[in-house]
Amino acid sequence: MSENLQKTLAEIARIEKQCQSLLVTATNLQELEKIKSDFLGRKGAVQALFALMGRVGADEKPHLGAALNRLKETLQAEIETRMASFQRQPMAIDSFDPSLPAKLPAMGSLHPILQVMDEVKQIFTSMGFRVEEGPEIESDYYNFEALNIPAYHPSRDMQDTFYLSGQHVLRTHTSPVQIRTMETQKPPVRMIAPGRCFRKDTPDATHSPTFHQCEGLCVDRGVSFADLKGVVQAFAQKIFADKSMRVRFRPSFFPFTEPSAEYDFSCIFCKGKGCRVCKNTGWLEISGAGMVDPAVFGFVDYDPEIFSGYAFGMGLERIAILKYRVNDIRIFFENDIRFLEQF
Amino acid sequence: MKVTLNWLKEFVDISHTPDELAHALTMAGLEVESVEKIERPFNAVVIGEVISCSVHPQADQLQVCRVAMGASEPVTVVCGAPNVAVGIKAPLALPGAVLAQNFRVASREIRGVASHGMLCSEAELGLTERSEGLMLLAEEDARIGADFNAWLGEADYVLDVNISPNRPDCLSVIGLAREIAAVSGKKLRRKEIVLATIAGTITDRIRVVIEDAQHCSRYSGRYLQNIHIQPSPYWMAYRLHHSGIRAINNVVDITNYVLLETGHPLHAFDYRQIAGQKIIVRTAAADEPFTTLDGKRHLLDAQTCLICDADKPVALAGIMGGLNSEVREDTQTVFLESACFEPIHIRRSSKKLAISTESSRRFERGVDPNGTVYAMDRAAELMCELAGAQVYGEAIDVHPVVVEPQIIHITTERINTLLGTQLTESEILALLPRLEIECTATEHDAFQLKIPTFRPDLSRPVDIIEEIARLHGFDKIPFSIRASIDQSQTINERIAFQDYLRRLLAGLGLRETLSLSLVSAMAAQPFLPQGAKVVELLNPLSTDWAVFRSSLLISLLQNTAYNRNRQSTIQRFFEIGNAAWCENDSHREKKQVVGILAGETHEPAWYDRGRAFDFYDIKGIVLQLLKACGLASVRLEPAADSYWSPESAALWYENTCLGAMGRMDESLLAAYKIKTRDVFAFQIDFDVLYAHHLQHRLFVPIPRFPSLPFDIALLMDATIPVGDIETAIRQEGGPSLAGVHLFDFYQGEQIPPGKKSVAFSLTFCSRERTLGDEDVTPMVDHILTHLKAHFGVELRPR
Repeated sequence: MSENLQKTLAEIARIEKQCQSLLVTATNLQELEKIKSDFLGRKGAVQALFALMGRVGADEKPHLGAALNRLKETLQAEIETRMASFQRQPMAIDSFDPSLPAKLPAMGSLHPILQVMDEVKQIFTSMGFRVEEGPEIESDYYNFEALNIPAYHPSRDMQDTFYLSGQHVLRTHTSPVQIRTMETQKPPVRMIAPGRCFRKDTPDATHSPTFHQCEGLCVDRGVSFADLKGVVQAFAQKIFADKSMRVRFRPSFFPFTEPSAEYDFSCIFCKGKGCRVCKNTGWLEISGAGMVDPAVFGFVDYDPEIFSGYAFGMGLERIAILKYRVNDIRIFFENDIRFLEQF
Repeated sequence: MKVTLNWLKEFVDISHTPDELAHALTMAGLEVESVEKIERPFNAVVIGEVISCSVHPQADQLQVCRVAMGASEPVTVVCGAPNVAVGIKAPLALPGAVLAQNFRVASREIRGVASHGMLCSEAELGLTERSEGLMLLAEEDARIGADFNAWLGEADYVLDVNISPNRPDCLSVIGLAREIAAVSGKKLRRKEIVLATIAGTITDRIRVVIEDAQHCSRYSGRYLQNIHIQPSPYWMAYRLHHSGIRAINNVVDITNYVLLETGHPLHAFDYRQIAGQKIIVRTAAADEPFTTLDGKRHLLDAQTCLICDADKPVALAGIMGGLNSEVREDTQTVFLESACFEPIHIRRSSKKLAISTESSRRFERGVDPNGTVYAMDRAAELMCELAGAQVYGEAIDVHPVVVEPQIIHITTERINTLLGTQLTESEILALLPRLEIECTATEHDAFQLKIPTFRPDLSRPVDIIEEIARLHGFDKIPFSIRASIDQSQTINERIAFQDYLRRLLAGLGLRETLSLSLVSAMAAQPFLPQGAKVVELLNPLSTDWAVFRSSLLISLLQNTAYNRNRQSTIQRFFEIGNAAWCENDSHREKKQVVGILAGETHEPAWYDRGRAFDFYDIKGIVLQLLKACGLASVRLEPAADSYWSPESAALWYENTCLGAMGRMDESLLAAYKIKTRDVFAFQIDFDVLYAHHLQHRLFVPIPRFPSLPFDIALLMDATIPVGDIETAIRQEGGPSLAGVHLFDFYQGEQIPPGKKSVAFSLTFCSRERTLGDEDVTPMVDHILTHLKAHFGVELRPR
């Protein structure tokens, strides 16, 4: 073994030790990157040793080459192992920062009006009502005639209607579902019909040409106005989760009920004491109700001498506005994400 | 209907405060929308008497007056009113007075003459709209120098009552007073009419013939002569003003006043203009022209009922008089009409001609057919009193159809059953007579009721029950809760499924939206199925809301655009609702499930920069949704509709198309002004999904033996869909192949051109035993052989 070879082998051993000791003391990835380039880079220490190949004779070249390759592989492996250990623990425990933002999965949501509809459905389902639906494009017959609203009757003025061709309208209420249900079912009937309705109202803070209603109907022997009052009061107390809610009925007029009533809930803001929202009356107007008019029974072939029933309506936007304290109905239909994500 | 409180008090004693009265009426079904105190916006006004008048030296139109005001010295006032004269008494506003519209009275020189006050008109005092002359105080109790406010008497209020269409009787002062009497248990005071007539034969002056008895059941009339047309007295103008009617002259005002008081419309014709001394009630000829007194010319149809003289029409029956026969300044003789017309007919004509008047509003709701003579005579009486009229001869009363009071039978039991009350016979008997319903007990707890003809809404027992409930008080009806079990009602599965989908989609990270169903025709067009037309509104609010949406995608695109215009960069929405179109002239409504992803997967974050949404994002949501509905194997085929870009696919389940998904067409996005191309959506037919969804699941046992993974990397033609290879692997893998998962996909450098590299992780598992490499290798070889033979796919060396 020539002297040059011996010297070079000693140099290899020294470089290996030097690198290993540096690796042990390195505390972060940056230092390791530096070590890597110092030793294994194009101008690094190992590359410099390869330049010493010329010092030895041809017979000794394979021996030195193997030693150099082994050095390169060893250092490469050791540096990578060390680097990997830093990469597996990118943070030492004292740099763990729980206040970094979370990795939030995409979140969906249900529309507030339909959440109210869900609640209404749940409350009435628990009281034994079945949920029914019907078309939004209705015939004049179901929307008006069969509800005792004849053509050329002033009560047609009570609702501004969108008309379609062929004696059809966009339903102005979900009451036609009552008729459709009674046509196919004999008493007892207990149903609610939540759904979309349409009226020719120019949009403003309290009007929208599309809105949602829930209609209720109960027909059986001996159903009375007192039953209607009981059901509406039970609903009021459940939807606003307040046992002290009171309900007031006032006489009114609807062609499809007799007697007809408007019903009010005690003001949820002031508990009926009187405030700005209820205009100091202590009451919030909700919607209409009444005993099914015998003329309506005539259209569905129920005998009004045997059966009686009550019907009630409610505007879901109205309830949502009260529940969420929204001040403009139009916001429900704008679908602004900043609104939707609140529910 | 607006009415002053003091007018009501002429007919009934009112002990309630105005607010209490409003509440009591509202609780009885006559909703009082407002109670407003009538303001008297003035001070420092006294009653003055003009004691001298001379023309202003500098202006012919002005008079310089000395006005006496009692104890203090008379004052000089310059006045320009046409009716100023010596001896008149009028309100005198003194310097310092503030009148209506905040007008301040001060001493000032008017063209060189000092004026120390102002004689006032009713309008200047804010009492009525009449401004054409001074308010004349002819009454003896107008004491000179007295405070004018005191002369006006006690405070008054205007009640605005919302009258429902079934209560025409309440469109009158007497009708409202009757309700107040009924609610408060007071008595209604009726006015006795005293009418002096001049002997004569009415038919010498006018004859009435009803040819159209179908539309005119009664026609009453009176001939009044010697009339002096002049302004109405203050009290009448004041009441009309607060009921929203402008004063014109005494005769016209009286017809309006009596209309308000009795609810019965009247019309006064100038007798000079009635040709042939004849009134004929007939239907119009088709396209017959007629000019109403507002100067508008109408072409009538052959159903319109007309009041005519011997030559020409003079009034649209029940709606409006004609320009040709209206009462004028020089009218001296009047023919007064008080008739009864058929409600549906009046409503039809009023709608058709787009004329709604105080008269048509009452006739279309139904006036009392037996009230014509009372209203007519009340007007005649006022014309005698206020216009110096003389009533000539008897009244005309042509009455082809006589309406008798209805008879209704009812029992106490029936009342109590429907209301859930326990009212007694005597309680009921105490309530109904307040509404002028005559009650006779026929047997125990049974009554016969005679309904006055001014209540057309009362014809059935249930109508009477409503009256009893109303007067008894809805508040006194108990709240009843029944505890009965009824098995007839079941869950509505279709609605329950819809709610399930809503929750799934929210769980998949989409926000539910709720959009208007109305869109523009232009927006609806691209989404129509072939051969279909839009569902068009005949009376839209605007062109933006002229048709029913043909797809819910329109709504979601609108919502996406709306939010992107408000700096939102990520939209993930869904909606379930109805779309509609016209096919073969019938309306088709379809419930759709629609979702959209637009923009970026998420905001750039510290751990991940995020990326644009792509097809596989929407595919993921759709497949998860379908899987949750039990539809595991869905086939993808090219989507045909032009609103999808080529990066899209139709979803097929067996032989049915469920819908489609993919990137939205670029030109469509441009139409919505959505600037990103990365908008992906799906549209699924709700009922098709509902029909195929799995309602009932069966348990599949979980394997007891461990599974063995085996990865294969393949090199394949870029044109072969990866899905085909995956399907082939599943088919060829045998019963032990439990899973196939694509974990790597690569196209580009290091891969020969026209090829792609895919890597699958296969999972093998047996139900009988633990598998080893020796079991799996032949299975994999079989798969690879098949893939090579059928697809030319090579195993890629690792």
